[in-house]
Amino acid sequence: MAEQLIRGAQYNIGHICTRLQCELGRGDKVAMRWISTSHERRDYTFSDIDLLTNRFANVLQGLGFSAGDIFFTFLPKMPEQFVAFLGALKLQVIAGTLFANFGEDALLDRLGDAGAKGLITKKSFLKKIMRIRDQLPALRWILIVDSDEDIGPDILSLGQLMKSASTEFSAQPTGPDLPSVLHYTSGSTGKPKGVLHQHNSILHQNKTTIEILGLKGNDIFWCTADQGWVTGTSYGIIGPWSLGITQVHYGGGYDAEAWFELLEKEGITVWYTAPTALRMLLREEPGIFENYDLSKLRHISSVGEPLNPEVIHWAKRTLGKEIFDTWWQTETGGIMIANRRGVEIRPGSMGKPVTGIEPGILSDDGAQLPVGVQGNLCIKAGWSSMFITYLNKDEAYRSRFRDGWYYTGDTAYRDAEGYYWFMGRSDDVINTAGHLISPFEIESALLEIEEVAESGVIGAPDDLLFEKVVAYVALHDRYQYSQELELKIRLHVTNKLSSIATPQELFFVKSIPKNKSGKIMRRVLKARYQGNDAGDISTLEE
Amino acid sequence: MTTLEKLNPIFRQVFEDDEIIVKRETTSDDIDAWDSLSHINLVMAIEMEFKIRFALGELQSLKNVGHLADLIDKKLSR
Repeated sequence: MAEQLIRGAQYNIGHICTRLQCELGRGDKVAMRWISTSHERRDYTFSDIDLLTNRFANVLQGLGFSAGDIFFTFLPKMPEQFVAFLGALKLQVIAGTLFANFGEDALLDRLGDAGAKGLITKKSFLKKIMRIRDQLPALRWILIVDSDEDIGPDILSLGQLMKSASTEFSAQPTGPDLPSVLHYTSGSTGKPKGVLHQHNSILHQNKTTIEILGLKGNDIFWCTADQGWVTGTSYGIIGPWSLGITQVHYGGGYDAEAWFELLEKEGITVWYTAPTALRMLLREEPGIFENYDLSKLRHISSVGEPLNPEVIHWAKRTLGKEIFDTWWQTETGGIMIANRRGVEIRPGSMGKPVTGIEPGILSDDGAQLPVGVQGNLCIKAGWSSMFITYLNKDEAYRSRFRDGWYYTGDTAYRDAEGYYWFMGRSDDVINTAGHLISPFEIESALLEIEEVAESGVIGAPDDLLFEKVVAYVALHDRYQYSQELELKIRLHVTNKLSSIATPQELFFVKSIPKNKSGKIMRRVLKARYQGNDAGDISTLEE
Repeated sequence: MTTLEKLNPIFRQVFEDDEIIVKRETTSDDIDAWDSLSHINLVMAIEMEFKIRFALGELQSLKNVGHLADLIDKKLSR
């Protein structure tokens, strides 16, 4: 497929997903069927997307953007998201995406670190940006999707700009190693890190869309992931459109009946979703699924966190379908290890490596571990969608590689038949509903609250979310617990960081266990939460 | 003041948006910040304001804010 994908050494993702598809005779084919929250449908052909992204590239160029500048989308799922993302890439501008529920602290961390020159958003989100605008000196332009008039000299109506922009644009020849997409991800310490990819990543995304998701020809594909996260761009935009596949995108959130109506009515043939969503479906009345004809649905894959065997059995029983779980990370840019057709599913396993991907289970000192022994899950460096740096944190980037292996931060083991089994994280990062969250970020947000003296945050197992955020706070002596305070704390975290960071459980304690150098001992909190022995606490500062 | 009117400032506080105007037919699709996780904050705020408690799963079948207001009224009349 790579021979057809790359023509004239043009690796530009924006070009390949739009213009190339038109050149291959798919101009009139529906690229995106957009379904609004009120279930209104609007089709965009590949030709439509090509012209719209051309206009958008011209808009950015007219505003002074050029190769290497960074532009973000901060939008809920809506057509403009796709146009802005690919239009920016056409101009060789680095395209970053922000989850629509990010609060101002989360936005400041990301936009500030990236030195973003512009972003596109909607009116109701603008106030979050305006609260931090004075701390974002590099932010030159804000484009508004739902205003007919400019709001300020540098807060411009997208509609007005698009109206006067030309539909003629040709992406400059783009080499494989030019930076392309930027997503921020959380680590267990410090601020979120900007994971930067290059245009070359489209090769792996294209390959895995075929090999693992099984997409071909006239498939109708639905990826439920939000474009604020890497799944939403790698497989909700790039992979399928690099193959000229029709995608359905739906603006609404989780609703079992609406989802199944959509699967049936739109004739979805391949569906890529998340274990949390599948577990929510599992909790619905089984009767509701009987009303829908899913005979066209050929393949279901999932991503985000391990898929429990119970869900796999439920899908077989209730839907008559297999679910193929996939494993990868923001840093890997594409699927690395997966279940797929033709390979027997071992419920609960990650599956087997993608062709050309070499995983290893390594000890902390870099030795290869034998079959059945848990260790660091590593990937031999060099695949095309491998991240090229953590923006402004090259040392952190280099620390993830040793002797040619990328250390994923996950632990796993390999069985005798070559299946990989996820065991957990080797750090404190919390995976809730498929999103990685840093306990440090939440602890910092909690400390911003006047009443909070100390905070400690851990992830705890959860039947629905895989892991939930559990927060411990100690109040200053002059304050006491009240329900109002609890709500205040919850809202603060939600509105400063995001809804996914909001503690599912909040405990008020006298103090947070710390070691003698002041580091929060999260393992002690975890042990307390689970009612276990905390182990060696000789370094605990009482 | 109707229950719906009392709900409006709660929605504004929880979703930090002074422009929210809830109607009976408002759903989570109409408010960008309303997802399954921020929903927990909303439930807590409503319970505090109306001094009621929702049972586990009681809110799952509600289709819109109107149904939520009806459920609150039902609880208050008990």
